[in-house]
Amino acid sequence: MPTQVLMPPLSQTLETLVLVEWLKQSGQPVTKGEPLFLVESDKATLEVEAPVSGVVSALLVEPGTEVRVKTPIALIVQPEEAPTLAPALATASPGRRVLEPLPPERLQRVVASPRARAQARAAAIDLAALTPTGPGGMIVARDVAAAQLPARISPLARRTAAAEGIDVDTLAKAHPGRRILRADVLSEVEAANTPNADAAVGQPLSPLRQTIAERLSRSAAVAVTLSCEVDATELVALRQQAILDLAAEKVRPTFTDFFALIVARCLLRSPGINGTFDGVRLNLCEEVQLSLAIDTPRGLVTPVLRNSDLANLRTVAARRIALLEAVAQQRLTPADLAGGTFTLTNLGRQRVDAFTPLINPPQIGVLGTGRIRPAPAVHAGQLAVRQRLVLSLTFDHRVIDGAPAARFLEEVATWIEEPHRIWYG
Amino acid sequence: MAEMTIAEALRQALREEMRRDPRVFLLGEDIGVPGGFGGAFTVTLGLAEEFGRQRVRDTPISEAAIAGVAIGAALCGMRPVADVQYSDFLFNMMDQLVNQAAKLRYMSAGALAVPMVMRAPVGATARGAQHAQSPEAFFTHVPGLKVVAPATAYDAKGLLKAAIRDDNPVLFFEHKLLYGSKGARSEKGAVSPKGEVPDEEYIVPIGEAMVRRVGKDVTIVASLLMLYRALEAAGVLAQEGIEAEVIDPRTLVPFDKERVLHSVKKTGRLVIVEEDNLTNGWGAEVAAWMADEAFVWLDAPIKRVAAPDVPPPFAPVLEQHYVPSTARVVDTVRSLFGVY
Amino acid sequence: MDQQHTIPPLKKEELLDLYRRMRLARRFEETVNELYLQGRIPSTLHLAIGQEATAAGALHCLRPGDTVFSTHRPHAHALAHGVSPHAMMAELMARSTGTCKGKGGSMHIGDFARGFVPAIAIVGGNVPIAAGAALAATLQGSDAVTLCFFGDGAANEGAWHEGVNIAAIWRLPVVFVCENNLYAASTPFQEAFSIAHVADRAGAYGIPGVVVDGNDVLAVRAAAAAAVARARSGEGPTLLECLTYRLCGHSRSDPRTYRTQQEEKEWQERDPLPNFVAWLTAGGHFTPEALQAVDQQIEATLADAIAFAEASPSPEPMSLYEDVYA
Repeated sequence: MPTQVLMPPLSQTLETLVLVEWLKQSGQPVTKGEPLFLVESDKATLEVEAPVSGVVSALLVEPGTEVRVKTPIALIVQPEEAPTLAPALATASPGRRVLEPLPPERLQRVVASPRARAQARAAAIDLAALTPTGPGGMIVARDVAAAQLPARISPLARRTAAAEGIDVDTLAKAHPGRRILRADVLSEVEAANTPNADAAVGQPLSPLRQTIAERLSRSAAVAVTLSCEVDATELVALRQQAILDLAAEKVRPTFTDFFALIVARCLLRSPGINGTFDGVRLNLCEEVQLSLAIDTPRGLVTPVLRNSDLANLRTVAARRIALLEAVAQQRLTPADLAGGTFTLTNLGRQRVDAFTPLINPPQIGVLGTGRIRPAPAVHAGQLAVRQRLVLSLTFDHRVIDGAPAARFLEEVATWIEEPHRIWYG
Repeated sequence: MAEMTIAEALRQALREEMRRDPRVFLLGEDIGVPGGFGGAFTVTLGLAEEFGRQRVRDTPISEAAIAGVAIGAALCGMRPVADVQYSDFLFNMMDQLVNQAAKLRYMSAGALAVPMVMRAPVGATARGAQHAQSPEAFFTHVPGLKVVAPATAYDAKGLLKAAIRDDNPVLFFEHKLLYGSKGARSEKGAVSPKGEVPDEEYIVPIGEAMVRRVGKDVTIVASLLMLYRALEAAGVLAQEGIEAEVIDPRTLVPFDKERVLHSVKKTGRLVIVEEDNLTNGWGAEVAAWMADEAFVWLDAPIKRVAAPDVPPPFAPVLEQHYVPSTARVVDTVRSLFGVY
Repeated sequence: MDQQHTIPPLKKEELLDLYRRMRLARRFEETVNELYLQGRIPSTLHLAIGQEATAAGALHCLRPGDTVFSTHRPHAHALAHGVSPHAMMAELMARSTGTCKGKGGSMHIGDFARGFVPAIAIVGGNVPIAAGAALAATLQGSDAVTLCFFGDGAANEGAWHEGVNIAAIWRLPVVFVCENNLYAASTPFQEAFSIAHVADRAGAYGIPGVVVDGNDVLAVRAAAAAAVARARSGEGPTLLECLTYRLCGHSRSDPRTYRTQQEEKEWQERDPLPNFVAWLTAGGHFTPEALQAVDQQIEATLADAIAFAEASPSPEPMSLYEDVYA
């Protein structure tokens, strides 16, 4: 069987991406990991690597075409997949057969089971809009059934909507099969309040925004931010190695994964900064539940990496990927968001060096990481170009003094500069 | 380029290969007797005159010996082409074909090769239960054998030459109603397609299917006589707006899965037509493969049109119900265009 | 029997060679029987202990280029024909260095490069194939001869009759050697035949039938040499019946309860090996020491073959998929 090359879901948000250019032509050999094509997402033009080694047998999409993610765009065959002929007849072989391309509408076929297809047809549901949960990315009957259920509304979302005066049932009807969370309500509110070009400036705050602002003001920590610049050269190298090591497992570790591991390890060594404070009671925790700040079109969400997720790089990466998928598919549950004891926010993908991260109440600390960039630095007594990174720690000075906070920051800095420490836990 | 029947094309292939390669010889019942038939269906007519009766060897009615002698000669450097008068008689030589020809190479870890061809006519032609079977599927189940079933004069010649040059035992099935045999050996109800056969040397590689008619709505896979029923059905269906793609596998082992899979991805529907009994035919295997590999591409269940699970009958009126008809193919295809 | 093929008397080294072949076969099979009991050889074994004179005598007069077909009981044939005991031991132990790379096993021992076709274990199935091999020699203009072993049981298979008949009508250069050991597995000869000898059937096909004491290596050798010479000169096949006896069971799981101890004892006394040793020494051809030197050489060879086989790797799992098609 030829291997199908799928348009990768590079963006959390975009359902289609533009194929910019093929870097291999049909008939050319390609090695796994070698760049195969360029694709344009909302953020950048990226090279995408061949998933397997073999010979490119067919390019199914013209450059410049907008393609749904996860649809086949090329085929790679193994050389031995050429039709087999008896040796005595090899000369009589017409060579590798080229099959005519499938019609475009067949290539765009949604992968669905016959049962799901029948049910979708009966219910007049667009299969393409469903989220597949079957084997090999196949839409199965339960996916069709889920789309026919009315949206479920979380109690928190219902309360938030009531407070805000949003008609949550109308919202639910617009999203059948989903679970409406507080974040959905808030993003509705935000969308309603986003000033457009025609709107007058200086609008009063919406009631919800006022509520949030009041609550934040009441509970506001006495926030102090410490920063330090660290040398991440070793970490960059280690991540490269880890990418190679874990490639076979289809796990691609990010810097966020490393930061999460390191922060978790250091929090265990500085327990005074790991916990919550509701203004009365300080609750310091012995286990780390690390909130991860994730930007979405509807605003910031902070799902939690559990203590068990923080066991090693594999588990962290796997959980992060699962959370990102849940975010993309708007399937986060309140349980995913609850119980954080510290927050990590990584703005390294943007052009941000240092910033003032905001404490995520009722937590008492948050670490922000900026982008890693090559910069001149003194290394081993020499001026050298090194990978530099700024760490920013915000903590609640009501319950934490400056010195222990600084020690925690220093610990994190040391681990980032000597990242092999994570292997020893 | 000459137009010829399948019997003529097969004869020409044998003649060319015997001229080309002194290792090639023929053996079988009634194939070279002076004044005889030239085999049950005239394929070897005249070859004994050209090549002598040493190379066109008449055998006693001893199918096990025909197969065994072919195997032994093949082991020792010859390229025998054996003739079985009716494919039903293959069962007389099952030990030789299944235990010996198919396995000698494997159990000797490659020390032996059995480059032989066993030609065998299939098809129901009012001869009753023991001269009318289409037993191709039996042999598709045996690793070590190749199974070929050409339906046109061009393929008959090109595939027979390929089979003779192949280093493996090849079961070569021919259909009684497609030979185009003449005179006393002609068959009632024969289709006898004539086809263009090039004058120059050519080979049809074993293992490649051929699309006989291009269509987008349904794939029909059919070999030998059933190919013609399928093509006829496709003509009827076209008038109803159903464009059938008709694939002639030409070789049953190795089977050109890729070609059928590609077609099914295009059409989303698959019908397999066999003259053999329905249960555990080669069509069942094709259906299983496609259920596996083309599952999400299918818009309808995979259907088989085959003989019922009864022996071939004698009475022509019964035989008409036994052998899949064009109408059955048409009806079966139509049934796939409801809503699934 | 045609008398025109005069067989020259055997030279001294030929006599010793016959002894060596019989002794090697006997000791190989006794050894593999022990290895089997120790669990070092899997599956089952069909041993030919007691039948070595037929194997050695029949094969002694073949030339390079001739072809031999054997049966499910092939060890003595193969060793008498010069197949490597090392490769045979490795095959029995299912190693990749075996005669069939571990794909054949005991019943398919062979060495086609030596003309010994990997043995065919379907009773009677090898007879028409042997006719075909002989036909190939005829069509190729060669004077090569094919020799085909089978047991008495095979002569009741349809393929046997078809094969013998076609060889007869085409006067093919093949010698059919029946090892009549009196039992088809456990079924006595007289329960399966209404004739005294398998060779009686030769007349039905118009070929010579010869009966010989299969435990007398020199008698077998002389009869086989005449049949081979007849085949080589284009006069067609011979059916040579060698009367012999399995001194062991049909297979490893055979308790031999269908035979009387009296009968076994009688045949023990006719054991071809000690009888040939007695003849060789009594006739003054060889001293016991000369034969013991051969024995020691054989023991060393077998020890080496076991070491070779046990040091050899098992087949690569992926070799499962190889050699299905050429």
